[in-house]
Amino acid sequence: MSPTPAIEHVDAGSWRATVSAAVERGAELDCLWAAGGAPDPAVRLALRQGAARRLFSTRAEGSRVATIVDLLPAAEWDEREAHDTHGVRFDGHEPLRALVAHPADRAAWVTPVEGPDVHEVAVGPIHAGIIESGHFRFHVVGERVLHLDLRLFYKHRGLERAAEGLTLAAGIPVAQRACAACAVANSVAYAQAAESTLGLQPDEDLRRSRTLVIELERLYNHLHDLSALCAGIGFDPGTMTFAALKERAQRVNERIAGHRFLFGTVRVGEGARSIDDAGASSAHDEVQAIGREAADAWRTLTFMASAEDRMRGVGPLAKEDAERWGAVGPVARASGVHRDARTDERGLLWYPDLQPARPEHPAGDVAARAEVRAAELEQTCAILTGLLTSPPGRGSSAAAHEPASLGVGRVESPRGATVCCVEADEDQITRLHLRTGSYANWPVLARVVPGAILPDFPLINKSFELCYACADR
Amino acid sequence: MFVLLKRLQHLRRTVALPAPARPGSLALRHVDCGSCNGCEHELTNAAGPHYDLERFGISVVASPRHADVLLITGTVTTRMAGPLRAAYAAMPEPRLVAALGDCALGIGVLGDPDQLAGPVEDLLPVDVRVAGCPPTPAAIAEALLDALDLVRTPRREDRR
Repeated sequence: MSPTPAIEHVDAGSWRATVSAAVERGAELDCLWAAGGAPDPAVRLALRQGAARRLFSTRAEGSRVATIVDLLPAAEWDEREAHDTHGVRFDGHEPLRALVAHPADRAAWVTPVEGPDVHEVAVGPIHAGIIESGHFRFHVVGERVLHLDLRLFYKHRGLERAAEGLTLAAGIPVAQRACAACAVANSVAYAQAAESTLGLQPDEDLRRSRTLVIELERLYNHLHDLSALCAGIGFDPGTMTFAALKERAQRVNERIAGHRFLFGTVRVGEGARSIDDAGASSAHDEVQAIGREAADAWRTLTFMASAEDRMRGVGPLAKEDAERWGAVGPVARASGVHRDARTDERGLLWYPDLQPARPEHPAGDVAARAEVRAAELEQTCAILTGLLTSPPGRGSSAAAHEPASLGVGRVESPRGATVCCVEADEDQITRLHLRTGSYANWPVLARVVPGAILPDFPLINKSFELCYACADR
Repeated sequence: MFVLLKRLQHLRRTVALPAPARPGSLALRHVDCGSCNGCEHELTNAAGPHYDLERFGISVVASPRHADVLLITGTVTTRMAGPLRAAYAAMPEPRLVAALGDCALGIGVLGDPDQLAGPVEDLLPVDVRVAGCPPTPAAIAEALLDALDLVRTPRREDRR
């Protein structure tokens, strides 16, 4: 695995042409972010083509640069965020609506939708239940949704800014705090980025032990998501069955890693702890049992015509749209996008023969998104039992290449590809940017909902099952 | 479906659930003011089959107007301070405020001070504190059971 490639510095004048040429050759968006302050902040762009990555940077002179959102529609939120946090104007991105910022003027963030019988339904930021905070504004005619405006970032804690000035090792708790449910994926992406700036390469034990905790995280998350999906269709026995399995999975986490959400299991340049054989063997058996019972419960669900009816055809996302809008994770795979960050970046983790999950009916609807998770649960249990049969040691890393000022890490979280970019001055973080799977999929959700009826929204939302904390940071 | 129900019934019998020692009930209104989603997961787990908070009469309600306890997670962000105050104002009295998790108590990595208005203590009077990152479902259940006593105590005094 090669280190993060050198940054290609591009004149502001040829920014669009450079990106356009790369996109024409098939490059896709990893991440776009701004760094530095006025008057001339830098705009950085990470593109990927298969396993190869290219990094670009340009100076936004007078805080202005040409937009690339028409070339890469997936960069919409990235540009809006760079404007709100670093004051960059993207010429041609009109209107550049507020995203992270919360201006009082509603015209600054609400899309005008007018006509006879058009109403607005406002939901949140406080939701009715145990749900994270965020605001949805539905523009509807009768029950039919015409348009959905998301207003997230109610939970914006400024974690990226809080990380600036810390040492690379001290950045881990910050990456972990972004989101509990994706804590491992986020902190491994961070650790990979930090190691890339330090010129370190993980050894086999470290790769395997990180893979173990990433898959333990996926196990309890997918069980949780299937439980939530059953709640979305009002099927309580399913909700409780998968919730009970999730609880057991979290108890496995507690037993072998010391924390129910696997906090503290990732460090920069080394592993956090090793697992003894007895612990590994009992975890192996419990994971196997959880996998068997989950498969059983899923089979029961697939034989229930009413559950099938409720999920089939709801909230469809076409394959072309999933690709164009940059959908990631189970959402993208449910639409037939045959991609998984675990198979793109094999060098830093341990996935010798994984293939992205393929649903039987990649229709991109709620049913397909449920099916992908059930299929991935099976894969995850197989990976885990494999790793637990010969448990990895603590692991460490060794110097493998020259240190660099910028590193990028990419990990498949339970919600999709999560990219972390770290800019460092020797051992000090100068800029940290985390673009999680949830962040990539939120704008996709907003585009899938129009056309559905309002009461279907909770179900479609649960089939995406995105974190607010991950996006808001 | 009957297979699942049967298994759940079996689980309910095998998992050690102590009988509720205290009578009474509490209606909770949860408000996330900037958590990492960990407290939400554990709160949901506490309502799941291994803990089953509802057997103690503790349930989550949709409106603050029906709530005895405002259960707050997360360090309070500047954006959530307003909605939090509105939810508190909508509650009937007597009312309790519970701060759930280290962030709500102002402990640990919180974020950029410019974006934060909390901890909860700075905005509302806190009656119940549950430490932990995140607190386990068992710790949440225990703290809420203690809150049952807090609610009951003044009523006993009324009777005297």
